Amino acid sequence: MELAWYALLGLFFAAYLVLGGYDYGVGLLLARGADPERRRAALNAVGPFFLGNEVWLVAAVGILFGAFPLLEGELLAGFYPAVFGALTGVVLVTAGVQLRSRPVGPRARAGWDRMVVVGSVLAALGWGAVLAGLLQGVPLHADGHVAGVTHIFTPFVAATGLAVVALVAAHGATFLTLRLPAADAAPVGQLAGRLVPVALTTVGAAAVIGLLSADVRAAARQPLAAVLLLIALVTALLGARVALARRRPGLAFAATSAALALPVALVGATIWPYALVSTVDPGASLTVADAAASAPTLRLLGWLTLPLLPALLGFQAMCWWVFRGRTDGRAPVYW
Amino acid sequence: MDTLLLARLQFATTTSIHFLFVVVTLGLVTLLVYLQTAWVLTNKPVYERLTRFWGQLYVINYVLGIATGIVMEFQFGLNWSGLSRYVGNVFGAPLAIETLVAFFLESTFLGMWIFGWHRLRRGVHLALLWGVAITAYASAFWIMVANSWLQNPVGYEVRDGVAHLTDFSALLDNPTFRMAFGHVVTAALLVGGMLMAAVSAWHLIRRTPDFALHRKGLRIGLITSAVAICFVQGFGFAQFFAIGDVQPTKFGDDPAAAPLIAEWTARFGPGDYTPPTLANVGLGFMILIGFTLGMLWLLLPLLWRDWAIRLRFPLWLVLLALPLPFVAVILGWIAREVGRQPWAAYGLLPVDKAVSPVSPWLMLASLIGFSLLLGTLAVANWTLMARHAARGADDPALGRRPEQPPADPRPEPAFA
Ligand code: HDD
Ligand code: HEM
Ligand code: HEM
Repeated sequence: MELAWYALLGLFFAAYLVLGGYDYGVGLLLARGADPERRRAALNAVGPFFLGNEVWLVAAVGILFGAFPLLEGELLAGFYPAVFGALTGVVLVTAGVQLRSRPVGPRARAGWDRMVVVGSVLAALGWGAVLAGLLQGVPLHADGHVAGVTHIFTPFVAATGLAVVALVAAHGATFLTLRLPAADAAPVGQLAGRLVPVALTTVGAAAVIGLLSADVRAAARQPLAAVLLLIALVTALLGARVALARRRPGLAFAATSAALALPVALVGATIWPYALVSTVDPGASLTVADAAASAPTLRLLGWLTLPLLPALLGFQAMCWWVFRGRTDGRAPVYW
Repeated sequence: MDTLLLARLQFATTTSIHFLFVVVTLGLVTLLVYLQTAWVLTNKPVYERLTRFWGQLYVINYVLGIATGIVMEFQFGLNWSGLSRYVGNVFGAPLAIETLVAFFLESTFLGMWIFGWHRLRRGVHLALLWGVAITAYASAFWIMVANSWLQNPVGYEVRDGVAHLTDFSALLDNPTFRMAFGHVVTAALLVGGMLMAAVSAWHLIRRTPDFALHRKGLRIGLITSAVAICFVQGFGFAQFFAIGDVQPTKFGDDPAAAPLIAEWTARFGPGDYTPPTLANVGLGFMILIGFTLGMLWLLLPLLWRDWAIRLRFPLWLVLLALPLPFVAVILGWIAREVGRQPWAAYGLLPVDKAVSPVSPWLMLASLIGFSLLLGTLAVANWTLMARHAARGADDPALGRRPEQPPADPRPEPAFA
């Protein structure tokens, strides 16, 4: 039962990185230039999906709290600075995107846009840092608490944070290639084609730094899974590059989506059966089973929420379906 | 410096900001459901325009509800990891249900509602708003279940120092829950009604051309808030029974308090088990405001033949009274939450065991960071709301026809 909930947690967080990822990617790309029309078009390409994207994060944390309370406390408090940064980013993007078009003056609007750019960087960096932090282990002591927060300031965490920023940028550009009107899509497609190799390079750099890090090597309980999933990640990025070159934005988007979901699977599988690996006291590491809530709680959550899961996914799918295709001026422009 | 104190301050600040926004959300969405349903049923343009005007304000307000709500959710893990460690098995469940069942759908529906004008069929579009409203109430329901459990833990047993869930129905049947939920929901309706009445009153005072529309807004707002205040008072006084039964230390001079404190001293060691007097002060002022707002009934007869508008001073009264319900909700929460001290979960988990063991400097940085961030955003958001409210219902961006140019031509393409 714990495994099922752990998988569901991973699924929701991965879905958040994929969906929120293109929000942040599009947000980052606002920095490309101050042409108001282009910015507006980019944000309204995200338009109807925006609110439905970030709720995956809210839901993931809900599952984390309900099904893995012990992990929730130590994970969030143990990675305090990274979570703080990510959260600040999420807040800035949420407020910036939704409020930027409310003021009339171009100056105020440019200010909100800058907030969106900064927020997107912070969110991507922060979540990347949390993933890397999980992979290198935490100073978890026998009393069950993570001591201090300085453990996350390592080259590996920084490299992974940057890699996620690059991934998100490439993903956002690919999303725009898929969604903007055909005339505007070509230049974005070229940009995406240039961003994918950058993402590949940063992912490679993070992987090398990770291999050199003794903590990461020690924390990797399933090295085979790590290698396989890393290969899958690289393959996805290469696939995105090819698909973009052949003008198949749908395929490219599927590939960059996989590239954002795979890191979650990679981290989860590599440290399995642990949820938090201790760097100071192997006996203190927290297994997924120990981190989970007790059986009656999991059963209750299962009965109440699993029947609803099809409805949750169904309404999200309805949103994607209703607003599928390229933006064509039929839906109102609001952001 | 004290990590615990800083963490409490941070919770108080961020939640208060959150609540100032969600209380408006909850109230306005109810009124919007009425407006849009009326539009679909009667096809009268005034309802369409009211829906767009108030929908615009609602959507602006919603932004900060989300932004602050996300911070709230993470704050449990960041600052109160002891809460998840010792009582997470029970307290986490309603929160998890809330996020999955309510928020997830609420935001999905809202995104489709905003972008669905002129694209979805009218019935579907209306159904989406109903969906938003139902899930908003569901989220308030579950968050109040969670909060009420902290006020009065039930349905659990402690094994190895950790609470385990034994009876979920007890959480729903919690005496600190039922009346409180009614009180919160009707308070939200009161806030929404008064906001609508006050904005309309402002336009009527300024004699903006849209007389018929704002007249309607004033009537709907006043009638809603007058009905709501009765229920607010009723549910409010009803809460004292539950408090008397299960929280004798809350508001002082309850004879049941002394034996309970003696029992706690035996179990948890000596300490100060009475809450700060701040709780009482907040309670008193809220009740005062509650009685003051009861006077709304005196304004209702003046709706006859528009006397309220012709006499003008009632309009001023409505406008000036707008801050009162906002002050009352914060005072009410301070009474409820400070009155729970020094417990995170009443009689079960003291706050000092619930707080995360992080350094006070980190907590201070986080407190300053989040307060500044959310405070600034809140002020910016209210400014935007006030401007949009003042601009009137001419042509809100929400629900504008896709090709339609903006109402007032300005050099910058002013879509908003
Ligand atoms: C518009 C806002 C508003 C108004 C006019 C009132 N209240 Fe209230 N009150 C709230 C908004 C509120 C609230 C913010 O919604 C609280 C905080 C927690 C809760 O459950 O509701 C609250 C809490 C609260 C509590 C504390 C419950 C607890 O500690 O568990 C009591 C006893 C009352 N109220 C009683 C009253 C009475 C007797 C009122 C007037 C005659 C009154 N309230 C007016
Ligand atoms: C939205 C309205 C709310 C407001 C304005 C509010 C206000 C406050 C305040 C003032 C404190 C600090 C108390 C003190 O230090 O003396 C506090 C603490 C706290 N509140 Fe609330 N609260 C609200 C809702 C909730 C809800 C719905 C929950 C739970 C689901 C909750 C859980 C907590 C927790 C865990 C703490 C910290 C521990 C403690 O000090 O007891 N609050 N809140
Ligand atoms: C203190 C504990 C609380 C937490 C952890 C919390 C959490 C959240 C979160 C995460 C969101 C954003 C959801 C989204 O992205 O759509 C949110 C919004 C919301 N919250 Fe809270 N909340 C708290 C208190 C309350 C209270 C006391 C109420 C009302 C009784 C409330 C009502 C709402 C509503 C109606 C929304 C919908 C969005 C909006 O209104 O703007 N919350 N909350």
